[in-house]
This record gives sequence, C-alpha cells and structure tokens, in this order.
Amino acid sequence: MKILLSGGCKSGKSYHAQRLAKAQARQGGALYYVATMKSADGEDDERIARHRREREGWGFVTVERPADIGGILESCDPGGSFLLDSLTALLANEMFPRQGFVDHGAAATIIAGLTRVLKEADDVVLVSDFIYSDAAFYDPLTEAYRKSLAEIDRAAAELCGAVLEAAFGSIIAHKGKAAYEAIL
Amino acid sequence: MIFIFGGAYQGKLAYARDRFGLADSDIYRCGESAEMPEGGKVICGLEKWILALVYANADVEDEMQRFIRRNEEAVVICDDISGGVVPADATLRKWREAAGKAATELASHSDEVIRLFCGIPTRIK
Repeated sequence: MKILLSGGCKSGKSYHAQRLAKAQARQGGALYYVATMKSADGEDDERIARHRREREGWGFVTVERPADIGGILESCDPGGSFLLDSLTALLANEMFPRQGFVDHGAAATIIAGLTRVLKEADDVVLVSDFIYSDAAFYDPLTEAYRKSLAEIDRAAAELCGAVLEAAFGSIIAHKGKAAYEAIL
Repeated sequence: MIFIFGGAYQGKLAYARDRFGLADSDIYRCGESAEMPEGGKVICGLEKWILALVYANADVEDEMQRFIRRNEEAVVICDDISGGVVPADATLRKWREAAGKAATELASHSDEVIRLFCGIPTRIK
C-alpha cells in the first residue's frame, strides 16, 4: 500500500518508514531506498553516512533521486517496495535548484511526479516533516517553502491509503489504521 | 462552539468550507487588529487576533472570556503554534503561551474539537 508518514524532528520517522517498507517488500522483490538529499557540506555528508549505516543489513537498494521523482519509474521495478525519504529534501532541491534561483512551480512538479509514482507502484512509503506548528515569522521564501511542502503533503495524503504521524516513537494513524496495522 | 485547530496550511478552512458549505461572507478573517472578532459563522486565524492583543498589551485571558460569550455559536479556527522552538523574541514567547492558553480555554467551551493533519480531520472532543 501507499503510506505517508510525517512528524517532527527525531520523532522516529525514518526508522518506522524503513520497517514499513521492509515489511511491504515481497519475497524476492526489490526494496528501494529513494535517496533525495544532495550533500551541501560536511555535516550533510555525515548525516548521509549515518543514514546509510542505519540501513545496512535491511536489504535496501539505494536509488539517488534528488529531483524529478517521476523518473524513478524508468529505472525501478514498479512492483518493488519503495521508501522515499524525504519530500522535504525533494522540495528543497526542486525549489532551490541553484544559487539565486527559485522555482515557485516546484510543488506542482513534485505532485505530478508523485501522482505517477503512486499510481504505478504498488508499495510506497513517503516521509515528510511536520514544520507547521511554530510561533515564528519567516521570510517570504521560507514561508513559500512551508506552504509548498504542505500542499505536497495534502496531495500525497489524498493519494495514500494510510497517513501516519510519528510522535516520539509512537504512531498515530490519521487514515488507514487497520491496513497499516496489518502490515507490521 | 466548534473549535478547529492544526498546524499552518493543514486544510482547516477547507474542512470548514466543506462541512458547513460556507460563502466567503460567512468567514471573518482575523488580521492585525486587536478589535474583538465577531459576526462570522466562522472566525478564522484566531492566532492573529491573539498576537494583536499581545502587541496591544491587552489581558488576553479576559478578552478570551468576552470572545467566547459573544461567539457561542461560531466555528473558531486557530493555528497551532505550540510546536517549534521557544522564540528568542519576548513578544513571540508571550504570544505562544497566550495562544496555548486560549486554545485550551476554547476547547473546554466547545461542543466539538477537531484537529487537522495533512488535510485529515480527527475529532478529539
């Protein structure tokens, strides 16, 4: 099934998402980790290396896809189990592809690509970040980024059979509770 | 009173429009004014009014009691701003606390409380 999993920082999203993707993989079928992060500096390198270490032994094939998410269908078997971590990084790459340039159509591009992926692939876990509950005023660009990510989340929530919220290690099912519980 | 809350851009107003079949004229949108919101079937963006009260040095708890008495039949929508980092700015810290207290007060006076997450409503009261 298709699952959207969101939550705050360090809420246990990645771990739960990996468990779900692994549980959805069929006997002998492919298990894909769609890596969306483009490294900008040493800190990112470390984070990527840590995530790779955490995935070791799970049987994931890593597919680098920092942009054009629909393109994974050309190189991957749609019958495989996909884990896409994360929509947040994907949007950053699509919206700010290079210094001094902003693509305000990024959300629409991603929604179109995701719609294709979610229609053609059987089992997909999407990870996003819940960045909507702080008492702060951001610059217009950051605000546009938050709004775009929320648009993507909401479109994905409609297309997914389960929508989950990670809360410090626990999972709240906002949609598809029974189906989600049957996976694990 | 029905209270709808959730993070920014989670589909709170879209949910209210859907459920109550609202026209634009049914919606009172809070702005930068500290004046008491009233008269809409739906009062949207209550966190903005609370911020205006904080800026005006008003007694927010008092104002909330008056607000509740005048809007018994309204649907009230408020952003949940209780999640992020504690703001470095003192006014925003005050706002965050006032909004949390106000939301708790509104929820306790409401017949129904709904939280929106990625466009999905959950009835929590």
